[in-house]
Amino acid sequence: MEKKMRILWLSAITCNGNTHSFLNYPHMEQFLDDFEFIYHPVIDSKYSLQEIVSNEIECEVLIIEGAISEEFQRGGVPIFEIIKNYSKRVQKILTVGTCATFGGIFRESDYKDTAGMHFDQDRALHNFSDFLDKTISISGCPIHPEVLVNTLYAIKKSVLLRVDNFLRPKEFYAYTVHNGCTRNEYFEYKVDNHKFGELEGCMFYDHGCQAPFTHGSCNKILWNEVNSKTRAGVPCFGCTEPSFPRDNLFNTKKNMAIPEHLPLGVNKRVYLTLAGITKAFKIDRFQKKILDD
Amino acid sequence: MIKIIEKIEGEAKLNFNFKENKIDFVDVEFMSTRNIENILKGKRAFDALVINPRVCGICGHAHLMATVQALESCYDNLILSDKAKIIRELTLNFELIQNHFKWFYLTLYPLFGKKQQILKATYPSQLMSKAIAVIGGQYPHTSYAIVGGVACEITEIDLIKVQHYIAQTLKFVEQNLLKVESEVFLKTEDANSLYDGDLTEILDEIKNSELLGYGKSYDRFISFGENSFFKKGKSVKTKVTHNISLVDVKESQITSSFAKNVSFKDKYYEVGPLSRAMINKTPLIIDVHKKYGDSIFSRILARIYEISQLLEHSRGLIKKIDLSQPSYIEPSIDISKLSGSGYSAVEAARGTLIHRVELESGIIKNYEIITPTQWNLSGGTRENHGVSQRAMVGLSDVKIAELVFKSFDVCSVCTTH
Repeated sequence: MEKKMRILWLSAITCNGNTHSFLNYPHMEQFLDDFEFIYHPVIDSKYSLQEIVSNEIECEVLIIEGAISEEFQRGGVPIFEIIKNYSKRVQKILTVGTCATFGGIFRESDYKDTAGMHFDQDRALHNFSDFLDKTISISGCPIHPEVLVNTLYAIKKSVLLRVDNFLRPKEFYAYTVHNGCTRNEYFEYKVDNHKFGELEGCMFYDHGCQAPFTHGSCNKILWNEVNSKTRAGVPCFGCTEPSFPRDNLFNTKKNMAIPEHLPLGVNKRVYLTLAGITKAFKIDRFQKKILDD
Repeated sequence: MIKIIEKIEGEAKLNFNFKENKIDFVDVEFMSTRNIENILKGKRAFDALVINPRVCGICGHAHLMATVQALESCYDNLILSDKAKIIRELTLNFELIQNHFKWFYLTLYPLFGKKQQILKATYPSQLMSKAIAVIGGQYPHTSYAIVGGVACEITEIDLIKVQHYIAQTLKFVEQNLLKVESEVFLKTEDANSLYDGDLTEILDEIKNSELLGYGKSYDRFISFGENSFFKKGKSVKTKVTHNISLVDVKESQITSSFAKNVSFKDKYYEVGPLSRAMINKTPLIIDVHKKYGDSIFSRILARIYEISQLLEHSRGLIKKIDLSQPSYIEPSIDISKLSGSGYSAVEAARGTLIHRVELESGIIKNYEIITPTQWNLSGGTRENHGVSQRAMVGLSDVKIAELVFKSFDVCSVCTTH
């Protein structure tokens, strides 16, 4: 039997959301045949937290969940120290979730200078720059379990993963969350009268949806294999991005009636021209309920 | 003697003081805090719908519900459709159920020297997560409950899918947990006439290791969350009253830990499935309580029984949904113009969760969260023990004390929000 790859799952300043999102990985049995945790926040492991933090136990992958701060300790040992000790030994480091990657929501916790491992929002940090080459960012609040697990398999199989500027695998983060949303046609034709509680409409114009400029596969892989927030009528809050959480998440900030943040790579003049043309279409089926006659 | 209790969504430090080989006092300490209440200050009201599920990875949905209800209670005359109310209740039920499975197979099993049953935990909890996702888009961390209703619209097909997830989960319960039809289990009124499944295996283990009466505390229960299934009330021994008010709930700082104490009229009360069942006067739980009091045995049975109850109740709720009703009714006043205060109490997996909010022109001036684990784990003094402390005093074995402690289904991240 092929050797199991050993993972240390280290929690920092976190809600454990990534831990529980990971537990939703549909093929857990297979996963546990191929990987083992030397420590995990809920899955039993051979070592206690105390043994993990006071020794350097052999493992191949370090997973960090949660934001980090010099002040924060785990098992009585500064988290910086634990991360440094294990980072030296492992083949790869995964910052799992937006807190571990960019600081996320707990960037605002009371700990001093709380941030991600390599980034404070979009600003590069240098505490761990020696390990930049072996780090992969799996951002998201929480992470998508398939993105995490398939990245781990890529490491196990020594697949070369191409990453973006924030070390996120392009395979998952080169797409926008907008890609595959069932509300896309309302966006394409600029039908801008979205109301909550309806199957119809696009939330980009009024309700703060950040999907057109957020990197992620939420509408490509789907959540829990069945749905996504935007399909369900919940705006994308941009949770995979350094800027998460922005202010005023249910509202679209506009200048002269134009959304301040435009779809990725689209400039304002082109957007205006395009909007002008699409608005001329007046397509009947978008004026009524999707399931109506 | 200090013992670190791990894998409770974080850690807690228990400092055991012994006197004549028996635990005399236990200091419960949580070592960190994230201060979500501070993070919320100055933020816009609706942003709390996104931030608060991140209090906790395993019961974040309860925090979403508590948030939306607290914000809604700031309005004088906000209208919700029955459809929206039922949908919210359903997804919260599903969260409670997934939690109970994880607790039973991941937390409880190892405490009896058995191997964690990871797949038995993840299979049914994934089904429940899917049921939430069909409605709310994803689990964990959706924000689909919004002031005025729910963001989604659902169809007959969605309800069919959700019913399938419930049916499949019920099958799992019958084939693994109970080895008997759920209907029969729900009608059981004798705590000793249980059957043959994983639940009985654990309960027998308690009987065989003579742990039956262990983990008793004050025999005082409380529950504030009200919906079509749970009732508000308190039960002292078996005397139930429903006339209680949140005004009498007090949160106080303690020096030794980042967790804050919670009391009702200056007394500590237990919250959670056993409390809910005592207040609901559930026959099987009344029977187990009569036989074994507020012990670990009763706590375990109450939590598992709630899985079957909530699955059954959810099936009934789905039939009550009138799809022609609106999912969302826009509030008459935009929240950015609203000043005032509000509160909410919902039943999360581990018990009563309370949120209080103060708004000034739609901006959060103050936010307070009281989590279920705070009730159960309030660190009292030698003269006035907290609920879990009292349950551990008098034991001689630290390992059994850990079992008693974990029978409350402790959540460290919630406690140290």
